[in-house]
Amino acid sequence: MKLSHALHDRLPTSMAWARLCVVSVLMVALVSGVQASQAWPYTAPAEISPPEISPSEGLSNGIDAFIVDALEKKGLKPSPRASKATLIRRVTFDLIGLPPTPEAVNAFVQDERAEAYGELVEKLLKDPRYGERWAKFWLDLARYADTAGYEGDPDLPHAWRYRDYVIDAFNEDKPYDLFIKEQIAGDEFAEIMGAGELPLVEPEKNVALTFLRLAPFTEPRGDETRHEMLSEMTSTVSSVFLGLTVGCAKCHDHKYDQIPTRDFYRMKAFFNTVQLMPPDRGDAYQIGGSLPAAFYREGEEAWAASRREEIQLQKKTFEALKQRLSARMQSEATTEDSEAPSESDLETWIDQENPSHLTAEEREKYHHLKHLNRFASQQLKRLEPRAMSLRHSFGPPYEPGVPVTHVMIRGEYDQPGDPVQAGFLSCLTGHEEAASIRLDPFKRWPTRSRRMALAEWIASPENPMTARVLVNRLWMHHFGRGLVSTPSDFGVLSGGPSHPELLDWLARQFIDEKWSIKAMHRLMVLSSTYQQASEPTHPNVMEQDPDNRLLSYYNRRRLEAEAVRDSILSVSGRLNPERHGLPIFPPLPDGIEERVKYSNSKWATTHGPEARKRSLYIYQQRTLTMPFLQAFDGLVCEDSMPRRALSVTPLQALEMYNGQLVEEEAPHFAARLRREAGDDPNQRLEHAFQVALARGPDAMEKETLLPFAQTDGGLERLARILMNLNEFVYID
Amino acid sequence: MMHRRRFLTQTWNGIGALGLAGMLAEESTQASKATANPLTPQQPHLPGQAKHCIFLFMQGGVSQMDAFEHKPMLQQWHGKPIPGSPSVRGELQGRLSFPHVCVGSPFSFQQHGDSGRWFSELFPHMASQSDRMAFIHGIKTDNQNHGPSTYHVTTGSQFPGSPSVGSWIQYGLGTLNQNMPGYVVVQDPRGAPCNGAAVWANGYLPAVHQGTLLRDHGSPILNLQRPEGITLSQQREEFDAIRALNQRHAQARPIDTELEARIQAYELAFRMQQAAPEAVDLSAEPESMQKLYGLDRDETRGFGRQCLLARRMVERGVRFTLLVHGVQIGAHSWDDHSNVEAGMRKHSQEVDQPVSALLEDLHQRGLLEDTLVVWASEMGRTPFVNSPSLPKNPGREHNSYGLCMWMAGGRVRAGATAGETDPFSLRSVGEPIHIRDVHATILHLMGLEDERLTFQHAGRIRKLTDIGGHILHSLIA
Repeated sequence: MKLSHALHDRLPTSMAWARLCVVSVLMVALVSGVQASQAWPYTAPAEISPPEISPSEGLSNGIDAFIVDALEKKGLKPSPRASKATLIRRVTFDLIGLPPTPEAVNAFVQDERAEAYGELVEKLLKDPRYGERWAKFWLDLARYADTAGYEGDPDLPHAWRYRDYVIDAFNEDKPYDLFIKEQIAGDEFAEIMGAGELPLVEPEKNVALTFLRLAPFTEPRGDETRHEMLSEMTSTVSSVFLGLTVGCAKCHDHKYDQIPTRDFYRMKAFFNTVQLMPPDRGDAYQIGGSLPAAFYREGEEAWAASRREEIQLQKKTFEALKQRLSARMQSEATTEDSEAPSESDLETWIDQENPSHLTAEEREKYHHLKHLNRFASQQLKRLEPRAMSLRHSFGPPYEPGVPVTHVMIRGEYDQPGDPVQAGFLSCLTGHEEAASIRLDPFKRWPTRSRRMALAEWIASPENPMTARVLVNRLWMHHFGRGLVSTPSDFGVLSGGPSHPELLDWLARQFIDEKWSIKAMHRLMVLSSTYQQASEPTHPNVMEQDPDNRLLSYYNRRRLEAEAVRDSILSVSGRLNPERHGLPIFPPLPDGIEERVKYSNSKWATTHGPEARKRSLYIYQQRTLTMPFLQAFDGLVCEDSMPRRALSVTPLQALEMYNGQLVEEEAPHFAARLRREAGDDPNQRLEHAFQVALARGPDAMEKETLLPFAQTDGGLERLARILMNLNEFVYID
Repeated sequence: MMHRRRFLTQTWNGIGALGLAGMLAEESTQASKATANPLTPQQPHLPGQAKHCIFLFMQGGVSQMDAFEHKPMLQQWHGKPIPGSPSVRGELQGRLSFPHVCVGSPFSFQQHGDSGRWFSELFPHMASQSDRMAFIHGIKTDNQNHGPSTYHVTTGSQFPGSPSVGSWIQYGLGTLNQNMPGYVVVQDPRGAPCNGAAVWANGYLPAVHQGTLLRDHGSPILNLQRPEGITLSQQREEFDAIRALNQRHAQARPIDTELEARIQAYELAFRMQQAAPEAVDLSAEPESMQKLYGLDRDETRGFGRQCLLARRMVERGVRFTLLVHGVQIGAHSWDDHSNVEAGMRKHSQEVDQPVSALLEDLHQRGLLEDTLVVWASEMGRTPFVNSPSLPKNPGREHNSYGLCMWMAGGRVRAGATAGETDPFSLRSVGEPIHIRDVHATILHLMGLEDERLTFQHAGRIRKLTDIGGHILHSLIA
């Protein structure tokens, strides 16, 4: 501006205007030059149309045009469509995380109409098991766990409600922009126009905010803990929603990306009015309190009430039994002792060998009720209508106002450097101005709306990262690898996308579809690219594209841990389909839960159908991953986990062949075969293959396995063999 | 849209693009396929170093001035506040700003061996091994709470989510015995340490690098027993059927080496069923050996068994064995806030003879030169108790500036010392040795270079020591 003013002063002629224009153009060029150096991914997705491909047969939608175009440039071609049996197994696992039933396979294979596949996809997207499947992917990102980790690994009694919130969000196809805002700023939705009291937060939005509190937490240490806690929120929000490793800039300017340390603290400043509730009485680990959040799902309050009653009743029954037995023990005692016996004395008395004074049932009942009661108070706590949430500080005069945020030198909590104001990442905005935070008209709540300002910026169609990052995550789950292969890091180390135009096109589609995640699933699984066979047909593929980044065939892959367990239960016919609710505690091998527990509030082993709900509901105890899931790379999250490893180890073989789960379920699978396929060994074998693998056996397989199908004992072995096949855990 | 290559050259100015390209290639393999066998033995970065490591972790914070640091001055201040330490900052300052009185060690000290190392009366057996050990005094960790400091010593970061030392070493070196896990953990039979399984977690490294917990009863590794009612020959029959079908499946899918790897994994599992129970069968050890490790006495049986198992693991090529003594809180932890005298007497008795037996036994079998043995705890303790006057049975507080560790075996320079604490054993004299320096030294002694043992995770090149550690060269022969 100074330059142009100077020119204006010196040359007030028409000539001057001409020069001024040149200068202005130069300046614009200069500015846009600056922006151009802010290359991918910091600029908005390009407006782009799929390339023209001819001939266009075989293309189902825009995705295919981009994929085929890139393949053709390498002299490659896509593979033909997978068989229908392969396809239904693939898409069913992909969308609902469970194998298709033989009936569904049969109906789909028979249905020769062109719409059959599209209808199948619609059906699966409407299936509520879809939400259970896809919630897990989000929970991994949200570093979801039911305990706080560290010493004592204390229970987070209300975390499970967030898990259910995520299931609902996927099932209801909650627009992603809303999903973002609820999790970052669920407490800041209500518009405040007047001067009255602060409106109550909707229960669902309070539950959504649990997202910000799921990091591991240990004995707080004042300012240091607050600094670490807010830093963690900053890093996690940035990597999950923006796909940028902003956390690297906590201690130094980012080594690879354009994220200076200042930007880390400018982002952190959006969180600086976060207020945790003080710990409940009795919270020895001081992990902090919860906020009220009524049960809001239909029937949920009634369900919770009946669970509470059940537990109260069970407590009463136990007390009554104890009293009865104590009285009996006292009456048998030879000495005159008016005091009631201690619990351990009573137990010694109960556990005496060959007791004449109580029946075996009484003894068993005592131990059963004792086990249940050990966990009763924690279960009751989980059933309180509360959320592991947070809110903004009420501000002066009630609570602290907006504190000054400083750059912390080397990331240390006690080394403040320059003060900064809340602002968005400069690599994305091109400037370091403070964000405008819209306060209420009375400025009654100066501490409010900071996180909402951040959430709105993230959830804006103009944000270059948000849509790209999410469509890339979905792509990774459908195709085995993201277009950007590091889904939480779009920075330099990601190596960039394999198909930049496709990624941008998808991002724009996502925004045009009003952030509908289901619309993106639909687009991806209906593409021909998705429907390809999983073996390459082209001779040059190994030279041209050894990692199949260009997708000339579908990437075969192993099921995730949860899907392996759910499949076993599904095939045996014993999967409990009940949705939502308290964490479950399936039996663990070798009593390991007793060896890692810290108190009576932990793994409350349950037997029976409740323990056979889907794996998503398993208690996520940070100090104990269920060995079965662990063998298949399922881990309880400590920090945001953008993708799972897929290892191959002998421990998986031991787990599947010798392990408790398969041992328990194989007889039920066998019983199902007897029930559904009768006595004919050929029928049994046919049905066994249909149930486990969604196809019939071929001649060689028949010859190998028919002997097993002839006897009842053999059928159980057949069941175990099928569950141990590579094909059982791999999707073509 | 900018072309990818141009984007790379434009944005990477100054970074060796070739090196990065290599990393990206590695990353893309990480992302796309499970490596066929990540456990095959790898070439170490440095030749001639140890092949195995036994890491002895004492949960709770061992009191260094009641064990390995003789501080006569402390005796003179017994019952009085510590004399002015003007430059004390941070955590210690917090402790010192509260009423406190010094606690002299209730134990007598004596010098041992050619190195003349001081040991308290609590460690007579370990003292007999003094000429095999090298000590590090005044090690600093970044947090004085058990959870974070346990993470710091066992994973290099005080926050959850990083790989444990054993995971890094297995990642770097692979395993030597394909019939056994390469990284084995034996925890205290009385329970788990602070942070539980995170102490031996793989963090962001592939899951195969997590430690395998050996169980102290029943099957040593989970699921080694065949399903009930299935004989070995029936099992073989089923495995053969599985293999036949898997091979047919794989032949139709030649692109995936992973399928073949999984066929191999089943065969290895079959062999492990036989190899692993034998490996942990202590009844095969002669009575004299059981006695040497203290399996005949109640106090020493627990850790004696753990140490004897560790030696059997080394014999079978296990790369890294983590032994944990103590459970996270309570009487079985070294966390003696009160009555440090009784506490130390109890804990030391449980480990002294077994650890000494382990060093002697390894030496006699010629295994010590290939085996690095590390003694660690998550922190040291303070020379004082936070209390206005001397309690009847005083204890000691946490001290994240006073951790004392020792190493033996491999290329450790026997008798060497690094670091020194002040006359109160409060903290180091001069710049403290940071735990990351110790980690760098452990890696070096295992033939691995800290700066080269890296993994790309969450936008950064990660390593055990985070910002890099200084190798303690004085400890290396």
